[in-house]
Amino acid sequence: MNRIGLIIAREFNQRVRKKSFILTTLLVPLLMLGVVFAPLWLSRMQQEEQKKIVVCDRSGKIVPALADDARVAFRAVSYLPEVWRDSLREGYAYLWIGPDILSDPSDLRLYAEEPVTLDLEQTLGDRIRRVLETEKLKAYQIDNLPQILQEIQTDVSMQVFRLDESGNQTASSGALSMGTSYLFGLLIYMFVFMYGAMVMQGVIEEKSSKVLEIIVSSVRPFELMLGKILGIAAVALTQVLMWIVLIVVLSLLLLPLLGGGAVAQVAPGGVLSSGMADLDPQAIALLSRVTDPWFLFELFGSFLLYFIGGYLLYAALFAAIGSAVDNAQDTQQLQVPIMVPMIFALVALTFVMREPSSSLSVWLSMIPFTSPIIMMARIPYGVPGWELALSLILLYASFLGAVYVAGKIYRVGIFMYGKRPSFKELYKWMTYKS
Amino acid sequence: MVNIPINLSGMELLRVEHVTKRYASHTALDDVSLQIPQGSVYGLLGPNGAGKTTLIRIINRITAPDQGRVWLGDRELAPEDVNRIGYLPEERGLYKKMRVGEQALFFARLKGMTRAEATRRLKAWFAKFGIEGWWNRKVEELSKGMAQKVQFIITVLHEPELLIFDEPFSGFDPINANLLKEEILELKRRGATIIFSTHNMSSVEEICDHITLINRSHNVLSGPVDEIRRSYGERLYRIDFVGDDRTAAALAEGLSERWRLVRSGEQESGYRSLTVQLPADTAVRDLLAWVSERVDVRNFVEQIPSMNDIFIRVVGGPDVADVRTESITPSVSQER
Repeated sequence: MNRIGLIIAREFNQRVRKKSFILTTLLVPLLMLGVVFAPLWLSRMQQEEQKKIVVCDRSGKIVPALADDARVAFRAVSYLPEVWRDSLREGYAYLWIGPDILSDPSDLRLYAEEPVTLDLEQTLGDRIRRVLETEKLKAYQIDNLPQILQEIQTDVSMQVFRLDESGNQTASSGALSMGTSYLFGLLIYMFVFMYGAMVMQGVIEEKSSKVLEIIVSSVRPFELMLGKILGIAAVALTQVLMWIVLIVVLSLLLLPLLGGGAVAQVAPGGVLSSGMADLDPQAIALLSRVTDPWFLFELFGSFLLYFIGGYLLYAALFAAIGSAVDNAQDTQQLQVPIMVPMIFALVALTFVMREPSSSLSVWLSMIPFTSPIIMMARIPYGVPGWELALSLILLYASFLGAVYVAGKIYRVGIFMYGKRPSFKELYKWMTYKS
Repeated sequence: MVNIPINLSGMELLRVEHVTKRYASHTALDDVSLQIPQGSVYGLLGPNGAGKTTLIRIINRITAPDQGRVWLGDRELAPEDVNRIGYLPEERGLYKKMRVGEQALFFARLKGMTRAEATRRLKAWFAKFGIEGWWNRKVEELSKGMAQKVQFIITVLHEPELLIFDEPFSGFDPINANLLKEEILELKRRGATIIFSTHNMSSVEEICDHITLINRSHNVLSGPVDEIRRSYGERLYRIDFVGDDRTAAALAEGLSERWRLVRSGEQESGYRSLTVQLPADTAVRDLLAWVSERVDVRNFVEQIPSMNDIFIRVVGGPDVADVRTESITPSVSQER
């Protein structure tokens, strides 16, 4: 095995065998699925519990119109508010409706011993408002009012298609695109920083433990740096692929537990769409897009390419910073020029999600320092092939440039101990003859 | 610059020719040349910051000289030659979280050894040092001295022709330092050439055959240790004899009429002692003949300066920083 191969192998083997690596690899998918599935599961649990409301309707107009449903049941009584406490033996809360509720809609009180949820408060309020509105409409004495209302009710659901260059129609969904867009942009940002910082930590560790002095007598500093970057790239790929596999497998295992209804509620990207029961066109469009293998290939393929490209570019810069300092505290200021484009890309992400084809979005998806995040956010909306190719070529070419510059700083930096260097000094190091 | 010609029976293994290395703010090495004879223990001396580490890094191909060339054997030093060199740096460390055996294998394979060969030799070395039990322990569990032993094994495992030890004894207790010294001498017996960089002058006298003294980026003194010491001798001779105060005073008076009396005193053994400096045109036997006629001489020794004295004299005394290079070179040259 050549020397870079040995460095990569050491880096990879030491890291994947760590307990912390194994734990994060296993726990992150569990946590992520927990975040998505727990509320769904909880909301299903909650629905089982029907709340009984004791109602004293002095107007006599509301109670007949209130029907029980899965969440609340009503029981009409004639207790006055003064004795409402006794009524709680029979129900969860006591609702007082004033005699002149039609003219004075604020004469409405709800008593309970436990805190009343906002949800219940809104449900009750909505239902009473609807009864009151119907009562008031009745006063206009329009014939066949219920039928008229039924007839004018319209449900708008737009199907969205996008025309690509060849004129083919592709069903697209704004909600789905936005969700995927944001999710993938954010993931790239997180991963590039996470693994980039790992490279920096590794370099600092080698420098502060002085093991570098021994390694560089066998390996050129540039080979060592490149080996470390590539070794951690292998670690990153392994971890991310494991996460994808684990999330897919665990989702398939967990979905049946939630029952059929919930399956349709979970749309990719964590976006909750309307239920599938009535098969509305939007949901069909969404489903066809999500199951389109070409779309999935494009999405995950470009995710991996941009993740690796973005990681390599930033990891080279992180390695240069790590080489220039003695300890992690000193990295703060030197990291600023690296953080700025990344954070800018993250801020621009929300704009790009809304205007994916604007010239700012296109430019940001070409500039290598922002392209991994921004291009990933544009892809769900569809990006011309040449733009994708150009952006990737620029990204990987700039990695080569960055690794060259970083190598120049690194080979000097690793032998410098003491004061944290300024940017001017880093520039000077680059100009030294090797 | 003093360069005592080396009378070599064999040839030199390493030749450094007019090497200059400049950094932005200073010149680390300025036109440094030296030849390291095959099979010798070569001391590389000099105060801190003189340029020793830069020279060692150039020999290790960690950094390249701005000017000048380095030859290993009969050809110029090439990238693959790092496998012929073993380097124990002054600043040493290992991967703390990595197991000892695994780590030693990693370094051995970086030096081009196969896994099988490296494992075989490592087992032998571990057995020799009685540390077989450490194979699966993490480096962070070892004491500093234990880690140093592992590092020594890593340095010599690939049986390099040229070994470079930078302050090898720092961090070792006297017992292990002695063990290490024996190993270094054993490596020499087996034909290795050793560059030995240190501040410890007594160990230089003990194990070095040749030295080069680097000061302020220049090679200010090179040659075999004994010749250098003799050449720095100021023709001082100490005469120990039996006698009382009166004989001593008479002798001292007589001596100072003919030669220069440097000091007088009494040895621990009870002998009287006088030290005389002879002018260059005086033969030693004249002095010896003169004194032996007058007193009962028990010892007659030439006072050869220690490496420590020479170091301090050449580098410029304890306040090294105040001495300018320009003033050293001419004064040393006058000695020849």
